[in-house]
Amino acid sequence: MELLLDVSLYGSTLRMIAPILLAALGGVICARVGIFNVGLEGLMLTGAFAAITGNHLFGDVWLAVLFAVICSGLMSLILAWLTIGLNANMIVVGVALNFLASGLTTYCLSAIFHVKGSYYDPGMAGLPKWDIPLVGDIPGVGGILSGHSPLVYVAFVLAFVLQFFLFKTVKGFRLLAAGEHPEGARSLGIRIDRIRYWAVLASGVLCGLAGAQLSLGQVTQFTEGMTAGRGFIALVAVMLGQNHPLGVMLASLLFGFMDALSIRLQGYALPTQFTMALPYVMTLAAMFLFKDRAYLRQTGRID
Amino acid sequence: MRRLADSLRGLVHPLAALAAGLAAGAVAVIVVGGSVGETYAEMWKGAFGSFYYLTNTLARSTPIMLIGLGVALAFRAGFFNLGAEGQLLFGALAAAVAALYLPAPPALAMIAALVAGIIAGGAWSLLAGWLDVRFRLNLLVSTLLLNYIAIYVCSYFVSFPLKDTSGSAAINQTNMIDRAVWLPKLFKGMSVHAGFVLAAAAAVLLFLVLRHTVAGYHLRMHGSNPLFALYGGVRRGRLMAWTMLASGGFAGLAGAVEVLGTQYRYIDNALTAPGYAWSGIMAALLANSHPLGTAAAALLLAALQTGGMGVERNTEVPLEIASVIQAAIILFISARFTRALLKRRKARAADGTAA
Repeated sequence: MELLLDVSLYGSTLRMIAPILLAALGGVICARVGIFNVGLEGLMLTGAFAAITGNHLFGDVWLAVLFAVICSGLMSLILAWLTIGLNANMIVVGVALNFLASGLTTYCLSAIFHVKGSYYDPGMAGLPKWDIPLVGDIPGVGGILSGHSPLVYVAFVLAFVLQFFLFKTVKGFRLLAAGEHPEGARSLGIRIDRIRYWAVLASGVLCGLAGAQLSLGQVTQFTEGMTAGRGFIALVAVMLGQNHPLGVMLASLLFGFMDALSIRLQGYALPTQFTMALPYVMTLAAMFLFKDRAYLRQTGRID
Repeated sequence: MRRLADSLRGLVHPLAALAAGLAAGAVAVIVVGGSVGETYAEMWKGAFGSFYYLTNTLARSTPIMLIGLGVALAFRAGFFNLGAEGQLLFGALAAAVAALYLPAPPALAMIAALVAGIIAGGAWSLLAGWLDVRFRLNLLVSTLLLNYIAIYVCSYFVSFPLKDTSGSAAINQTNMIDRAVWLPKLFKGMSVHAGFVLAAAAAVLLFLVLRHTVAGYHLRMHGSNPLFALYGGVRRGRLMAWTMLASGGFAGLAGAVEVLGTQYRYIDNALTAPGYAWSGIMAALLANSHPLGTAAAALLLAALQTGGMGVERNTEVPLEIASVIQAAIILFISARFTRALLKRRKARAADGTAA
C-alpha cells in the first residue's frame, strides 16, 4: 500500500506515459481516416534512434528532436505511399515497416556508433527538465506535475489540441468525413487521399517525438528494439479510448502507470519476469473492456 | 503448359522484389563505405560457399520454414496471427521439459517431446483465437501482446524452477537433454538435422491439404472473402480455433525441433535473439502465404542471414545488412510493386490519357 502512496511513482507514470500517448495520438489520427497503423512501433523506434544520432551529430538536443521528427516522418511517408498510393494491405505494410525500422536501426547502430546492442554516451545531454514555477510549489501534487521533459507536457497539450481540431474545426470535420464515409466526402470535393497522407505523416511526426522522449527523456541511450511493444500498446490505447484524443489520454495514463509500476516493483522480492510482463498483461486485460467496432465489422460480426 | 507459364509469371514479382531488396542493400553498403561486389561475394560464400556453410543455411532455415508455414496457414484463412514468437517459445520449453523429465525409452521420448512442442505452441495460439471468438479481442493485437507475456513466462521458468544449477550460474538454461533423445544429424559433423526433413515434408503436406481438401477450401475461402464464406456456411469460430491451433502447432514444432536438434536444452533468449519468429512471418509474407513458396522464402531468408555472418567475418560491413535487405524485400513485396505498376500502365492504355 505504501507503494501506491509514493509520490515519485506518479511522477514516473507521467514520464512513461508520454511515448505511449504521443504514438497513440498518431494512431487516433490514422484511425479517424480509416487507416489501422500497425507501423507505430517501427516509427517510434526510428524516432528513438534518430534522436540519439541527431544529438551525436549536431550536439544540440532540440536539433536532435527535430531530426527524429524528420526521420520518422520520412518513414511514415513510405507507409503512406504504399498503403494509399499503391493500395497495398495496410497491416502487411505496417508489419514490414516495423521490420525495416528494426533492421535499419541495428544496421546504423553498428555503422555509425560501431557498437552492438546499445549505445550510451555519458557526455550527451538529454532533454531538459522543466520546473513549472507555481505548480511545483503545490504541496503533494507539485512534485508529480513538475520537473518533466518538455515533451511530456507537449504530449498532454497535444491531446487537447487534437480533440479541439477534430471536433471543432472545419479541417477536422473534413478529416472525420474522409474516414467516416469516403465516397460521400469525395462527392463534396474533399481530397481524401491528400488528407490520408497528412494523417499518416502526422502519426510519423508524433512517433518521432515519442521516440525522442524514449531515448533522450530519461537516460540518453539507445537500445536495440527499445520501444519494446509500446507502439502496440499505443494501438490498444487508441481502441480503448474509442478514437477520442482525451479518451486515449486516459487509456495511456493507465498503461503509463502500469509501465511505471512494473519498474518500481522490481525493487521488491517478486521475480523480475512477472513485473516486466505486467504492462502487457494489463493491456490485454484492458482489451476486454471495449469493442473494436472496425474489427468486428471487418470480420462480419456486426453490420 | 499454360499452368507452367502462370506459375512462372507468379515468380516475376518476388524476383523483382529480391532484386530491389539487393539494390537497397547495395545502397546501405555504399553508405558505410564498403564495396558492393565484395560484400555480396562474401554473402554468397557465407551462405553457400562450401558444404559446411550450405548445411548451416539449411539448419537455420528449419525453424524459419516451420514457423512460416504456420503463419502462412493463418494468413491464408485471413487471421493475422503475429504471435509466432510466443508459440515458438512455449513449444521449445514444453519439448525440453518432456525430453528431460519423461520416463520413456529415448525414441519414444523424442516423439513425445515433438508432440509436446506442437501441443504447447498450439494451445498458446488457441488462447488468442479463443479470446477473439469468445470476447472479440482483436487477434492481431492480442497475439502481439501474448508474445511479450510468453517471453517473460518462459524466462521465469528457465531462471527459477527449471534452471540448470550444476554449471555456471551466468546463463539461464535447463539441464542438457540426454544424447539419445536428440534429433539425428543428416550429415556427420554438420549442423543440419532431421528437423529439416520434417519441415520440408510439412510444406508439401500443407500445400496438399490447402489445395485438395474441403477444410483447405473453406479456409482459403474465408481468407479471400470472409463475408462470402459466412454466407456459404463456414463457421468462423470453429475455423479460427482449428486454424490457430494448427498455426501455433507449427511454431511449437519449430521450437521443439530447435531444442532437440540444435541446442539440446532450453536456453533463455536463444530463440528470440536470432529473430526466428519474425523471419518466419517474413517468409510467409514474401511468398504471399503459399506453402511451397514459404519454404523457398525461408531458405532465401536463412541464406541472407548466414551470408550476413560471412559478410561480418570478412568485411567492415556489419551483419545487420541482412536485416536491411530482408525488410526492403518485404516492403517491395507488400507493395505489390510490379503489379501496381503494370496495372497503372494498363489503365493508362485503356482510357488513352497520359495521367
